[in-house]
Amino acid sequence: MSPEVELVGAFTNEESLLGCVERLRQARARFRVYSPIPMPHVNAAIYQRPSFVRWWVLLGGITGAVSAFVLTIGTSLEWNLVAGGKPIASLPPYIIIAFEMMVLFGGISAVLGWILLSNLPTFEPLSGYRSRFTADEFGVVVRCAEDETPRLESMLREAGAQDISREAA
Amino acid sequence: MSPNPDSAARPMPRSDQGAILSAQPLTSIAVLLVAAGLIGFGGAVTYGATSRAWEAFLVNLLFWLGVAQGGVVLSAAFYLTQGRWAGRAHYRLAEAFSGFLILGFILFWALYFGRIWIFPWIRHPIPAKSGWLNVPFLFARDGIALFVMTVLSLSFIAASRSEPARKWAETTANIVMPPKTVRRLAPAVAICFVAVYTLLSFDLVMSLSPLWRSTLFGWWYFAGAFWSAVVTMTFTACCLSSVLGAGNAFTHSRVLHDMGKMIFAFSIFWVYTLFAQYIPIWYADIPVETFFVVVRTQYMPWAFLSWLTLTLVWVTPFLVLLGIRPKRTPFILGTVALLGMCGIWLENYVLVVPSLSPRTIPFGWVEILVTAGFAGAFWLCSYPGLKLASAAATEPIAELH
Repeated sequence: MSPEVELVGAFTNEESLLGCVERLRQARARFRVYSPIPMPHVNAAIYQRPSFVRWWVLLGGITGAVSAFVLTIGTSLEWNLVAGGKPIASLPPYIIIAFEMMVLFGGISAVLGWILLSNLPTFEPLSGYRSRFTADEFGVVVRCAEDETPRLESMLREAGAQDISREAA
Repeated sequence: MSPNPDSAARPMPRSDQGAILSAQPLTSIAVLLVAAGLIGFGGAVTYGATSRAWEAFLVNLLFWLGVAQGGVVLSAAFYLTQGRWAGRAHYRLAEAFSGFLILGFILFWALYFGRIWIFPWIRHPIPAKSGWLNVPFLFARDGIALFVMTVLSLSFIAASRSEPARKWAETTANIVMPPKTVRRLAPAVAICFVAVYTLLSFDLVMSLSPLWRSTLFGWWYFAGAFWSAVVTMTFTACCLSSVLGAGNAFTHSRVLHDMGKMIFAFSIFWVYTLFAQYIPIWYADIPVETFFVVVRTQYMPWAFLSWLTLTLVWVTPFLVLLGIRPKRTPFILGTVALLGMCGIWLENYVLVVPSLSPRTIPFGWVEILVTAGFAGAFWLCSYPGLKLASAAATEPIAELH
């Protein structure tokens, strides 16, 4: 198997970048996009599945709600406080605490899930990054085997890449 | 950013064979339903079920008028948030039900003839509240309020359907504000709705149990009316998506997704305001406050219907519409919306009828026929608006920016 290389192409406008992304996706290439601005169109073209973070949020929310009921019912049964003749473990007020803990745990889980699934923290720049990709240009980094390089290089050029460089993967 | 399989960068496909919403056979069915309703109401009054007839009349008036008015407010909300996610289609669809507003205003006055069976404080006056709860003052203030609301709503709709507003809604390629007339009327409609429906809920629902009061009741009630318009609009959109030609606005999954999000979000707001009323009443445990809730939630026969209402209006939309795919599936979204409509009708039923019949559930041919009559009248009044919505739905939607 031939060694892998990375092709780095720079684009100056969103339309050509989007066209390139579509071609690379159809060619099932492995690539990464750098952009100085948020681009929902490109994001939608790259990611075909919803993020897995939402399952972290669901799990965190359920954990929070269940924990809240355990906390409130458990403490009420342990230290009985009769108020107004109501049951020792009265659910209506515990719903408020369960809701708050559901939101809290869900939010924390969202942040944790996002950090972990994004492989953060990252102390070294990802390969192919150029400082101009956070200034005024878009970047596409395609990872491929060396013998695929001519095909993908011409694909980048046809898509409108301004300059294409090659790096070791 | 959530992934969007039908990328917003691509222009929406155009419907080349825009179908027109056919009047038949639904219009004929609606006429029959209206006739059945009139016969049912007349028969109930003639054969000794007068109180049931008027209870059913009030429940249906509150429900269908809430849907019609809520739709106008929904359109105003779209303008206030400058939402152009479905071109003109969502504006026309939200406004489609406004045809019932004038009939609703007329039917409100019909309540005068059933006042003895509806308002218990007429037969059993409460001296401390007689300054507010008396027939002339109630009908005067509610009549004037409804008149102002109706005139304001019709003016707003005329402005919304004008050429400048239509042109504004057709493109998203600018940050231009809506036309000036719409900008003036939309907030007026919203604020007037809040005030008028708070007043109507206090007078036509809360006063049926004249010893009970809840400060947040008006807010909760008009939030439910607003939500009833959202679900009715969504259910109609799901029906129209298959009736109109391919590629119409209501076949776009992101349009359905947006409607599903509104159903989800506002059902949470409804249950939030419901719980905000319930928990202080529960904590204080004062009999003059608890009797209203206890009759409806803790004792049969009404407890079942009350919990069913909660299930239909909040539990089902929350659980089913949590994910992305159910919101983008017309069958699932339409079913949840239909159940939601049934839920709000049931909400009105559970609010009104136990005050007048706490120990039994009066439900039979009277209630079914009167409801059918109102449903038929609602369809007949909404049909012209639905034709406009269908025409708007067959036009291409501008891409989002």
